[in-house]
Amino acid sequence: MPSDRVVVIGAGPAGLEAARLAAELGSPVTLVEKMGVAGGMPVHSDYAALTHHFRSASDAMGEMVGAVTSNELIEMRVGTEVTSVEGELGDFAVTLTSDGAEESISAGAIILATGFKHFDPGRETQQYQYYELPDVITIAEAEKMLKDENFVTPSTGKPPERVAFIQCVGSRDRQIGNEYCSKVCCGISSKQAIEIREMVPDARVFIFYIDMRMYGYWENEIYWPAQEQHKVNYVKGIITEILPKNGRLVVRGEDTTMGRPMEVPMDMVILAVGMEPSAGTTAMSGILNLPTNKYGFVETAHDILDTVTTTVPGIFATGAATGPADLDDSISSAGAAAAKAVALLRSVAVPV
Amino acid sequence: MSVTAPPARFTADPGATLSPHSYLDVAYEDKLALWEEVKADDRFADYLYGCYECGICVAACPSAKFYDFSPRKIAQAAAREDVELIYEQMNDDVWNCSQCFSCNRCPRENSPGGLITLLREVAVRNGLGTAKEALEGYGRVVYKIMTTGTQISPDMLQPDAFPDWGPDVEKTSDNLELWRRALPPETLHTTEMSWQVSNETLIELYLIWLHSDVMDMIAEADEGLHMIILDVMEETLEDAGYEV
Repeated sequence: MPSDRVVVIGAGPAGLEAARLAAELGSPVTLVEKMGVAGGMPVHSDYAALTHHFRSASDAMGEMVGAVTSNELIEMRVGTEVTSVEGELGDFAVTLTSDGAEESISAGAIILATGFKHFDPGRETQQYQYYELPDVITIAEAEKMLKDENFVTPSTGKPPERVAFIQCVGSRDRQIGNEYCSKVCCGISSKQAIEIREMVPDARVFIFYIDMRMYGYWENEIYWPAQEQHKVNYVKGIITEILPKNGRLVVRGEDTTMGRPMEVPMDMVILAVGMEPSAGTTAMSGILNLPTNKYGFVETAHDILDTVTTTVPGIFATGAATGPADLDDSISSAGAAAAKAVALLRSVAVPV
Repeated sequence: MSVTAPPARFTADPGATLSPHSYLDVAYEDKLALWEEVKADDRFADYLYGCYECGICVAACPSAKFYDFSPRKIAQAAAREDVELIYEQMNDDVWNCSQCFSCNRCPRENSPGGLITLLREVAVRNGLGTAKEALEGYGRVVYKIMTTGTQISPDMLQPDAFPDWGPDVEKTSDNLELWRRALPPETLHTTEMSWQVSNETLIELYLIWLHSDVMDMIAEADEGLHMIILDVMEETLEDAGYEV
């Protein structure tokens, strides 16, 4: 039956913001979340501080969830999946499945906000022996250690003396198939490097990179403070392999600025893994009949002047479901998706 | 104010390359022609895309560890089409590569090693003096490969030639036939070649080398060697009924 309801799929930062804004514009909203708790990747992956303001991720996500749960126009459905969608703009029938029980609700518009997953360095290529070496971790795992304020070398339980970040793991790599830049890893690594230097002041921290992509204010708020105040060492040259040696790790790469190969001992190596489409993004693009690009992210229909409208009228996509996105991107595109969804529903004058 | 001409070393640079001129006795046009020959090869498009300058190729390269050699600089010079630098590399750097292709781990799927294959081929085909020099010591290896289809053969295992092969090399080379016959696979019961290569395979190899420009390249690098190899090939081919 025709409806002015907006269904938002995914309760991460983008979904929460889209739900909040659509409701604030007066539309009833159902926010569907597969996991048992809202908050998305920052909550489920135990992010510590957000890039670039160092604000606590749990505080920020708590605020976003609070804004949604306190709004009477929004119904939040956690532990629930969208299993089928039929109909068209103004009159979608959305089937929700929770604990095996199915329920169909009516919706005028749908906003997809199913996000990304972290690249798995062990997938296919066993990059950097990630599965074998306990002291080789990812930035996602480093976030949890930083959140717990217990930053130690996993194999020894002691604070590390030397820590290396390796950038562009699973991104910008034609051989792996992810040729895109994941946008956030440079900023997150630099942010983590600062946090590590504050938590373990005796540790030397190295960042091995291809290019540091410190967009806009990340440059003055993270990159230069990391170098000038926190003495983080940036080395242009990516690491080819990590070898265990005498209980430590040796990283091999080229110091391209100096133009010579290097082999440097480390206690810990943190892989700056990029973004890939989440399982939810893959499943939902199928259910909603949305075209994806060759990497599996949802393709929006229009050019750079419209980042959220999909090829299916009445269905919008936001956040990292459409490609690598930082938090600022996700929140901005969520607002755009909510506004466009509500405006479109009003323009087709759906009877309520 | 008058404009002073820059020093001669930096003038007359029709290709506007970034590197200063070297090998001043060779005309820029000749260097350019060699580079055009490299680019005209069908394989070129598969060997060079773009370059991040990430250095993965250098770190993976066994030669870079021991020589002043960088596969990244090979890729960079090619990407910039820096004809002067490419000519320098063609006369020097390319002979420091062991053609192991570890550099193929490139995240853009470049192949610096492949570029070097092309650069070497052009250097040999055009009779560059440095190419002849670089290949001088390899006459015997080339002879083995071209005539037997295998590379290092057991009878090359001589203490005077390979002292770095360890203290047992003399003992082994004295009883070579016996040692070889102790190996389980019968195809390894050989001393003049690494393993038994069938006559059909040899004939195919010979025909490929004759019909491609491989034999011309050998002639350009070492005329005497070319004659010896051709003799062996002709004999085998004529026995098999081919007219050479």
